[in-house]
Amino acid sequence: MSRRHRKKTKSANVELNLAAMLDMAFQMLAFFVLTFKPAPVEGQLSMHLPPPVAITNPDTKPVEGAGNEGPEISDENTLNLFVTANERGDADVVKMGARPISKGALNKVLLGRINEELKVVFNGAQLPFDRIQLSVDPRLRYDELMKLVDLCTKQKLPDGKLLQRISFIEMPEGAMP
Amino acid sequence: MSAQSSESIDPNLTPMLDLVFQLITFFMLVTNFKGASMDLSLKLPVLGSARPLDWQGKLEPLLINLNSEGKIRSAGINHEIEPFIKREARFVKLQLQAGGTEYKEGQELPVPVIVRADKDVKFSMLNQVIRTCQDVGYRQFSLSAMTREQ
Repeated sequence: MSRRHRKKTKSANVELNLAAMLDMAFQMLAFFVLTFKPAPVEGQLSMHLPPPVAITNPDTKPVEGAGNEGPEISDENTLNLFVTANERGDADVVKMGARPISKGALNKVLLGRINEELKVVFNGAQLPFDRIQLSVDPRLRYDELMKLVDLCTKQKLPDGKLLQRISFIEMPEGAMP
Repeated sequence: MSAQSSESIDPNLTPMLDLVFQLITFFMLVTNFKGASMDLSLKLPVLGSARPLDWQGKLEPLLINLNSEGKIRSAGINHEIEPFIKREARFVKLQLQAGGTEYKEGQELPVPVIVRADKDVKFSMLNQVIRTCQDVGYRQFSLSAMTREQ
């Protein structure tokens, strides 16, 4: 009896071994870290899209430094690019004004060439371009268009800012000026 | 006899709390509430130079999920392009008026448009979206792309 009484009143200091719980916590954490597949990160190409301008006189004003047949200008600050597409929606011919600068589906080589052409135009100190107008075949697929838009938004204006003003025009199917 | 013993056991619950907080933090960080408004079935083009944009300080952008059939998908429902964009623009104008911002018809809407289009969408469909947006006053656009191949 006296032993029982002693048990009731004794304030036993029980210490749980919490190392196991910590182990479990770390295991769960490791599991989540190792199996976590981050959601695909989406990016955006940001641009200012004013309404398109009418192409008034496409046969005039060749651009110095861009070859004999320079790009044509409608609004004096707008560079016109024309893009046709084939039946599958791939880009076919890309023209800067009247001058073809690419033929065939857009691969790295062709994209590099277009980029160089655009650089020549936009690096010309006397050129007033601050906007690109893309006249596009309605069949062109979005991913092909995005490759061109990407190139356009990489061009630097004389003030060092990136080009953001782009406008789109839908050409009649297969038509090319 | 041992069941009747009144030994007080005080387990240290701090690690368990730590664990719970860690899990909560984990789920908070990986949960994307915007995913509900996105159509994740769309296959976006891959473009390494595309960068996530920060719209802090601006009104909520208009998100347009354009599928290859030329329909805008929002909250699991397919919408026609024009009625959807016009309705959204009306809503934005009402928001501006309610917020005390003076808006005149034809003025630029201070709301960006994020276009999430399937990579097989034809330009004619995309152009219809852009033109309709421009007609109602939108000027700032962002075209979405994946930053890397999935």
